Parts: sequence; structure tokens; C-alpha cells
Amino acid sequence: MKTALFVPCYINELYPDIARDTAILLRNLGVNLEIPLNQTCCGQPFLNSGYESSLPQNFDEIFKKYDYIISPSSSCVATIREAEINSSNKTFELIEFLHDILQLKNLIKEHPPLILHNSCHSLRSLLEASPSELNIPYFNKIKNVLGCKILEAKRDECCGFGGVFSVKEGFMSYVIGKSKLEDLLNEDNLKKIKNTPIITGVDMSCLMHLESIAKKENINAEFKHISSLLLKGIK
Amino acid sequence: MKHQELAIKFYKEKGPKHDKALWAIRQKRDKAIKEVKEWEILRQKASEIKDYVIENLQKLVDEFIKNAKNEGIEVYFAKNAKEHNEIVLKLLNEINAKKVVKSKSMLTEECGLNEFLAQNNIEVIDTDLGERIVQLRKEKPSHIVLPAIHTTKEDVAKILNETNTDPTYLTRKMRELLRKEFLSADAGISGTNFLVANKGYAVVCTNEGNADLGAILPPLHIISVGIEKIVPDMKDLGLFLRMLARNATGQAITTYSTIFGKKENGKRVIILVDNGRFERLNTKFKETLKCIRCSACLTTCPVFRRSGGHSYRYIIPGPIGSLLAPLKDKNEYKDLPFACTLCGSCEMICPVKIPFSKQLREMRKYVTKENFIIKIAEKSMHSATMFKLFSKIIRLTPKPLLEKAISEWSKYKALPAIPKERFIK
Repeated sequence: MKTALFVPCYINELYPDIARDTAILLRNLGVNLEIPLNQTCCGQPFLNSGYESSLPQNFDEIFKKYDYIISPSSSCVATIREAEINSSNKTFELIEFLHDILQLKNLIKEHPPLILHNSCHSLRSLLEASPSELNIPYFNKIKNVLGCKILEAKRDECCGFGGVFSVKEGFMSYVIGKSKLEDLLNEDNLKKIKNTPIITGVDMSCLMHLESIAKKENINAEFKHISSLLLKGIK
Repeated sequence: MKHQELAIKFYKEKGPKHDKALWAIRQKRDKAIKEVKEWEILRQKASEIKDYVIENLQKLVDEFIKNAKNEGIEVYFAKNAKEHNEIVLKLLNEINAKKVVKSKSMLTEECGLNEFLAQNNIEVIDTDLGERIVQLRKEKPSHIVLPAIHTTKEDVAKILNETNTDPTYLTRKMRELLRKEFLSADAGISGTNFLVANKGYAVVCTNEGNADLGAILPPLHIISVGIEKIVPDMKDLGLFLRMLARNATGQAITTYSTIFGKKENGKRVIILVDNGRFERLNTKFKETLKCIRCSACLTTCPVFRRSGGHSYRYIIPGPIGSLLAPLKDKNEYKDLPFACTLCGSCEMICPVKIPFSKQLREMRKYVTKENFIIKIAEKSMHSATMFKLFSKIIRLTPKPLLEKAISEWSKYKALPAIPKERFIK
């Protein structure tokens, strides 16, 4: 089983620690992980901005010898999956891989309660949890993998980031994000938390957006990608 | 003004309240569909029926026309909005009609019928409560099922010159005023929710019964309808009636769901309108023809709920409008497919499974001009070495310049800190 780490370009540039934590986590779990050094971008910024891109095909070429391609970002994985290329069905978001392939559960059972932001691509594209629009039984793979007490927002709606949306409609992006933050930090959730609330998720881009709003609004919360929590928790 | 500016304006005035009102409807809808345990199977079936309809549209239109004529309905086919409006005018002139009561029809809005008839000295009274409110306010509907959702009870009291703002009082007042119009109208015009091909019937769903009064009281009833509203047979109608109101407002079924055939006390006319629909079948956007106008994609959209329908400037707003508007005017509405976070909620809620995310990305491509610099950037990103160079340049660029480059972000919040080192170096 040849396994590769796909490091989303924005993670590589802005959050190298998340890539490192994901790599160490997977290796600690016994995955023989390779990190192709010639990898670049999946093409999402172009495809979502109305431009043609053959970056998914480029991705296919770079990762062709691998059986599993794992990435700590649901929106980049969704881009590859929706591109309908050879890599589409062998590319997994980290939690999907832990849950569906390695079949791991309850990895950080003892961790104090966490607030989970279900990112849209994780929820509605990769179906890592049951979206509220559908009439299907409730499930949440992220919760299963973590195993500790998980608090969610009352509305499973978008955080307002939306990539290109955040640089085209800054105001709307901000107000949607603000109401998402208020929902994640709702009274019922806060009652169950002793220390500074930790908001986690599988997509750092949403968390980056929410964190920048929290800073501006002086909202007390920490934002941590799920890979970092898992790595720290399992050790 | 573009969506971005109109959204800010609306949000500051009414955004949070509007969001709350629509979210309450979204929750009602969730509750209603969860009572139907086979909901997801129904969605799959509805999607398949609609796929069949758009693949066999000409055949079904022909079948409908034949059966409707046999039923005793007069049928016209209008190629475009102009033809449609002229047919309506001709029919009204034949009976020397001066006043028309109209019930909700997005198609007549699409064709600009009200304005056209007004120019020809025919008074049009909208009879759906919400539509009458926006008509009196000299506005357009802001939502396709809840046309006046952007207004408050104070707004309604104001247009009626009332000081009492009690919703029940105002509704009764409006009902009183409208009843007079129904009784004195020369003709009724309505849209229709479904056309049943194998029977030639038109099915109209309302909660106020206003379409029924307009269809029954005056001697002439005109139905204006887009050809994509066809369903093959009565069995399919049953399926769609189970889904429409549940998904739209959380009701098991609309209060009035009337199947119209021949009009016993006068003439019933159906005008089937193409207005670009057949042409759309040959484009990447043909799946938009599956839409049954339930409006759930508007109600669920995190942007629509906060920006209001008028920020889209097109008669059909929200996610489905962002796909339809640029097909009418690519330049005017090029901002709409970007007034969206690609969250996918519209796709999940759609009863006929229109692949919204894919279509919205495709629409972004449709409205975006090729850009040489972007092309070079895209090409250079194929190489890790070039990417690294790009990354170095970003790290050397002064922060104010970066902030300026994405000013819409930095206007509202700080840029994330850029670490010195990358992971893959």
C-alpha cells in the first residue's frame, strides 16, 4: 500500500505545522507515508474563480503511483474528487482515511470537550457527516474518530469563507462568519466548557477566516486544526 | 449597483431579521420532510422524472398541446416574451377587458407582462397577498414563494394607510380590498405549477385560493407557463405535490391544489412559453430546466438570507437565479454566480437534485473573460519550482501591498501571519 501526503498549497504556505502534524500522526499510526516534493496546487482557486485549470490533471501525474492520497483539507480533497480524474477515488481527507480505511475510532476519548465546525465540503461534498438538508440517519465521522465530547453549532450552515467569496464580498463573508462564531460559541455549548473554548475542524481555511473575525471582535476562542489535536492527544 | 453593495445596504437595514424569518421556514421544512421517511427516494425519483422531461421536452410539449385541446382548452405557443405578451393582449382585447386579476406567476414577471399591459391601458391587480404588497410598494418580489418576505408589518400598514399594524387585521383589510377586484375583473391570469402531458391539465398550487377565484369568477382565464413545467402523467403529479409545499414552506400540501381542465363558464387559454428554454437544452445549463420553483434554495442560502432577494436584481433570485440571470444578460448579472460560498446547501435541499455546485462553477466560467496573467499563473503552478518562486515573492511583498491586493478581505479583518518557513521547502 503506497500512501502519499497531499499538502494543500495554502497549508504549505500558511500552516506548515498542520502538514507536519498530519505526517507525524499518520506515521505514528503505522502508515508508511511518502511526501512527494514536486506537488503543487489542486487547482481549486482557479476552478472556483471561473478559470480553466489543468492542475487536477497535473495532480494525477504527480500522485499516479500511490494507492492512497491523504490530505488535511476537505475542500482540496473535494476538488480532486469532483474533477473525475484517476486520483478522485483514492484521495481522502484525513478523517475519512482514519475512519473508513484504517477504521479507527475514539482516538482522543479523554480530551476535554471540543467545539466542532463542520466545514461545508466535509459535510456536503465528502459527506463526512449527515447534512441537515437530507433525511438520512445522523452520523458524524469526525466525532467518531475523536471520541471525546463534541459540541456543534445549532445551524450546520456555512462559515462564510467560500474562498473567492471572501475576497469578492468581504462584508457578507464577515457577517456570515460572525453569526457562525456566535452559534459555535452558543450559551449551551459554553456551559459545558471549563477553559478557553477550542474550535476545531478539518478545514483550516474556514478556521483561519473564523479566527480573524474572533480577533477583530475580541472573542475568546482557540482555533486548532484536527490533526494537531489528534497528534497531541494520542501521544 | 452590484450584489456586493446591495447586500451591505439590505443587511444593515433588515439582514438579521430576514435571516431569522427564513431560517424558521427552513426548520419547518426540515421537520416536514423528516416526516416522509422515503424523502430521499422521492428526490431521486423526482430528479429522474425531470431528467426524462428535459430529454423529451418537444415530445411532451406536443403531447400536452394535443391533450389540452381535446380537453377543451385553447393553447398557444409563444417563442419569446414579446410573443407571449402580444397573445395575452390580443385575448384581452377580444373581450375588451380593462381589468385583470393575476395570481402568482414567475413567468409573467420574466416576460414583463404587468408593465406591458399597463402601457396598453389594462389594469393588472396582483392577488397573491405578498405580490399585492410588493405591487403597491412599486417593487418586485424578493423571493419566489414569499414575495414580500423583505417587508415588515409596519411597511404593510403604511401602504394601506393604516395605523393598526396587527397582521390579522391587515390581512383581512387586504382581503376585503382584493375581493372587490375579483368581482369586478374582466379576466384572470395565473401561472401554473405543473402541466400534465397525458391529460392536458394545468395544476395550480396556492395557499390563498386567489388563483382559483381568478380562474373561476371572470369569463376568461389565461394561464402563462414555461414549457419545463410539464410532467408526463398524473402519477408524477402526485409525487411532485408531495414534495413542493413540504420543501417550500414545510406544509404537507398547499391549501389549494387545483387541477384545471376545460372552463365550464367561459374560456380557458394556456400559453406555453419557450423564451430561450429549448435553446438552453443544448447548453451546459440544461439541468436548470429541472427546477420546480419550490424556492428552498433561496431560503437555505446563507447569502440570500442575509442579502435579501433584491440584491440579485433579477426576477428569480438566490442560487437558481444566479444560474438563470446570466443566461438572460451575461454582463449585467456577472457578479451573481460569485455571490455564493459554494457551500452546497442548495444542492442538498433541491427536490430535483440540480447539481448546483457544479453549475455555479460552470456559470462562473461562463461569465468570466479569459485572463492572460491568470493563464500564466495557472501554468506556472504546475511546477513546484515556480510555486516556490511565487511563494518567495509573496514573502518579500510588503504587507500593505498584499492587503491592497485582497482589499475586500483586509477591509474587514487582518491577514493571517505568513510563517518564515514552508513545510515542503
